[in-house]
Amino acid sequence: MMQLLRRIQMLFQRSRFNADLEEEMQLHLDLRRQQMMASGLSPESAHRETHRRFGNTTVLRDRSHTAWGWGWLESFAQDTAYGLRSMLRSPGLTLVALLSLALGIGANTAIFSFLDAVVLRSLPVKNPSQLMMLGKGDDAGVTDDYGSTTLYSYPFFKEFREKNTAFSDVATVFSFGDPMYGTLDHRDRMQLFVRDIVSGTFFSTLGAEPAVGRLFTPEDDAVEGKHPVVVISYAFWQSAFAGAPDILNHTIKFADTTFSIIGVASPGFFGIEVGHAPDLWIPMAMMRSLPVHYAGYNDNFFQSNYIFARLKPGVTPAKAEAEANVLYQQITRGFPDAKLNDYNLAHLQKAHVSLTPLTNGRSFLRASFADPLRILMGVTALVLLIACANIANLLLARSTARAREFAVRQALGAQRLRLIRQMLTESLVLALAGGALGVVFALFASRILLRMISGGPDVDLIPLDVSLNWRLLGFSLAATVGTAALFGIVPALRASRVQITESLKDGLGSSHSTTRNPLGKALVITQVAISLLLTVASVLFLRSLINLTRIDTGFPRSSIMLMNIDSTVLGLKGEDPRMIAMFPQIEERASAVPGVQAASFASFIFHQGSWNGSVNVPGVPFNDQVSVRHNVIGNDYFKTMQIPLLAGRAFGPQDNATSHKVAIISESMAHDFFPAGVNPIGRHFFHSRTPSPDGGMEVVGIVKDVKFGHLDEPRQYIDYVPNPQHPWSYGTLVVRYTGDFNTVSAGVQNAIHSVNRNLPIGQVTSLDHVIERSITNQRLVAQLSLFFGLLAVFLSAIGIYGLMSYIVSRRTNEIGIRMALGAARSRVRWMVMREIVRLVVTGIALGTALSLAAGSLVRSLLYGISPNEPASLAFAIVAMLIVALFAGYLPASRASKVSPMEALRYE
Amino acid sequence: MKPNDIPPGSLSLLILKTLSRHSEMHGYEIAESILYTSGNILEVEEGSLYPALQRMLVKGWVTAEWGYTAGNRRARYYRLTPDGRKQLADELSNFERVYGAIARIVQPA
Repeated sequence: MMQLLRRIQMLFQRSRFNADLEEEMQLHLDLRRQQMMASGLSPESAHRETHRRFGNTTVLRDRSHTAWGWGWLESFAQDTAYGLRSMLRSPGLTLVALLSLALGIGANTAIFSFLDAVVLRSLPVKNPSQLMMLGKGDDAGVTDDYGSTTLYSYPFFKEFREKNTAFSDVATVFSFGDPMYGTLDHRDRMQLFVRDIVSGTFFSTLGAEPAVGRLFTPEDDAVEGKHPVVVISYAFWQSAFAGAPDILNHTIKFADTTFSIIGVASPGFFGIEVGHAPDLWIPMAMMRSLPVHYAGYNDNFFQSNYIFARLKPGVTPAKAEAEANVLYQQITRGFPDAKLNDYNLAHLQKAHVSLTPLTNGRSFLRASFADPLRILMGVTALVLLIACANIANLLLARSTARAREFAVRQALGAQRLRLIRQMLTESLVLALAGGALGVVFALFASRILLRMISGGPDVDLIPLDVSLNWRLLGFSLAATVGTAALFGIVPALRASRVQITESLKDGLGSSHSTTRNPLGKALVITQVAISLLLTVASVLFLRSLINLTRIDTGFPRSSIMLMNIDSTVLGLKGEDPRMIAMFPQIEERASAVPGVQAASFASFIFHQGSWNGSVNVPGVPFNDQVSVRHNVIGNDYFKTMQIPLLAGRAFGPQDNATSHKVAIISESMAHDFFPAGVNPIGRHFFHSRTPSPDGGMEVVGIVKDVKFGHLDEPRQYIDYVPNPQHPWSYGTLVVRYTGDFNTVSAGVQNAIHSVNRNLPIGQVTSLDHVIERSITNQRLVAQLSLFFGLLAVFLSAIGIYGLMSYIVSRRTNEIGIRMALGAARSRVRWMVMREIVRLVVTGIALGTALSLAAGSLVRSLLYGISPNEPASLAFAIVAMLIVALFAGYLPASRASKVSPMEALRYE
Repeated sequence: MKPNDIPPGSLSLLILKTLSRHSEMHGYEIAESILYTSGNILEVEEGSLYPALQRMLVKGWVTAEWGYTAGNRRARYYRLTPDGRKQLADELSNFERVYGAIARIVQPA
């Protein structure tokens, strides 16, 4: 220990150390010389004898130094300084190398940060590996189906919690919900809040601790309507209340109920949904007091919630799952209002509750983005490989130029290991510089990526934590060191394996091996192959994206504006005649705004969720496997969306709350659900399995099929009903307009407010944007693979140019001789081009094989195009050829311009 | 007869012992002392004292301080530390073991 301290102290006093040693040895030499002269030698002999007896001062100084054990550090510092100097000596090449490294390492780090956040990271809660979810968590909404194992009712949760033995605690959370309007304290304006509705056991099951105040307990969830309390998130505390210390005195009002804030969650806590960060949590007991007035607290079959739980230590998931299944059957069948007819029993019997680990939480993002992110990770890794190949070639070229230096050093006694260490250190310096730049680049790239994943410039950013953290830095460091090793090791081994006498000879000596340079050529071939692969990939993704955007949605997409109003804030029930009358009023006023051609409300326009169920057509066998999507619309909906009416009529004022129930069905529904040859118009059908006493709905019209949720969905069955007959306090107003978006939007908003001043309006956007956002992940992959494909091709072009320049410069002698002997310039050019063509063709062949082999990996991400489709491959090959040959042409033409006299001059 | 080179590995033993006899010495004095005390038989390559002394400084067997010689020249004086005395004892006993064994072998039969 003391020894280490002494040694460290020496490090800081190095120059004094050297001076002291110098002085000491000088004294010794002087005293010895005096003694010699005193015993009779001449001054010259005394001097000679003294030094003979003393030894080699340089070696002795070195050995004294080494005694302190910092030799390795000093040679490392020396090598680093040398590396930096040689980097600065050829600034152009260094810049290109640094940039390619920075882009490679940065891109990898940025993509990894997303992969980590979306797929790999565990929930920031206590012991996330103990958390399990009932069912697969792959659905959201409300259902009353028997046998649903993803969504559960609150009463079910209560019983499950009471009766289970495998879990230390159980919690439940509402599975869906848009942001809702409320008022902070006594402020004037309403604002939107992102919320989660949870059981009182939510926080304790997750093991969360409060930052201020307290979190929910089971007592906060005991009686419906009696617990107007909320917990807010840390970020919300900072942004809405500026971190006010008296936060527990504040309130939030939703509909008619004022909720007091009883606590603040710890920073970074967001619940179990990755990519969703609520502002506040509300107890399930209060679900009816919210603007949407959910009535499920005591309803045994209002199945709207996810249930998750923490395993007791020592209990295996298998045991817990077995018990869960037993309890599921027991509890469901035990409900007093359970309708245990054959149909439901059959579904119950088939139901199997599987336990899903909740270590990484649940995520709607994961489904869309896990595969694209993995593919992008592969792409960026390949780009990094190409960059490494470039740098390896660069170092190989440089090491050959330094062959003489290494030969001299080895002749003087340097060990091979020392030389290898030096070269690796230089590589490490380059890689670390590139890596540092890469991390900076990754910070910017992450922001851009998050914007892209969120869907565009006019949307809120998804709350995903992709900031720099230790894991990320560790990843970057590993990538950096890996690339340094990758591109540094072979040149290092090469350079030190020098034949000393050969290299020390005057002149070029045998230029044999260096011009053949098989390693450099292999590297370029690999680069070309990988670039081809990436080019093919980007062409495929681009074409797939174009296919998607060309899909006929069934309605003209342009010049349609959407805006959301939240009618729940009015406090009226959906069936209230005032509410029912309000919507046509708004539609009328909005249509009168200049520029508006038509306006209508609808519950779903495109990619906005769904309400679906099975339908029963009398006379046709009931099939509960087929879902029909239901849409509640205003009377002018088809006119606004310009969806053609194929038969019958659209809804009108005659279809009101008291007239007989009507519906309009889609073309394929008419074709598939009604018997052939029969006109569906005038027939009745039911939205439930058993015929309802009111006789069902009469079909009054048939419209053309449209896309409902996704561009690439298979054909959907859709039926439409008028709002007065199925009151839905819905929100999206769709407006077809001409002219300037902002002017018309302002006009429409005024029209809405002229009907009711208190209606909050939000999410004003165009249908085009909504459709674009629905294909965000395909757009992401296409845009990024295009960017990286271009980058890869560019880097390969540099690689080809570099290698050919190098080869030409080594063969300058040979070229000079040929030209002196009468070879034409064009022959020389062709001689060099031949090399290039050979390399490029080999690379392309290899790349083609790779593309065909890897095609199946991306099949699932492509739409309307096969991975082995020849046109894309052909295009990529041609593009690659053009670029590569151009890159190689420049050195070739330079070779042909060599003047023989210069070439033959003594080197 | 010309002086002999010292056996390899024994330099530190000689230096430690020399320092144990005198309270403090500088490098030249140590070299002279070894030559003199050995009756001019052992000649140290004088420069090699210095790396050896540095090693001992690292290990904490000696300490060094700058002072002035009789001729008013600046010199670095070395002293033995308690750790150094312990090391000396260890090396001495080791030396005696090894050379005692050699002596037994080469004894006239």
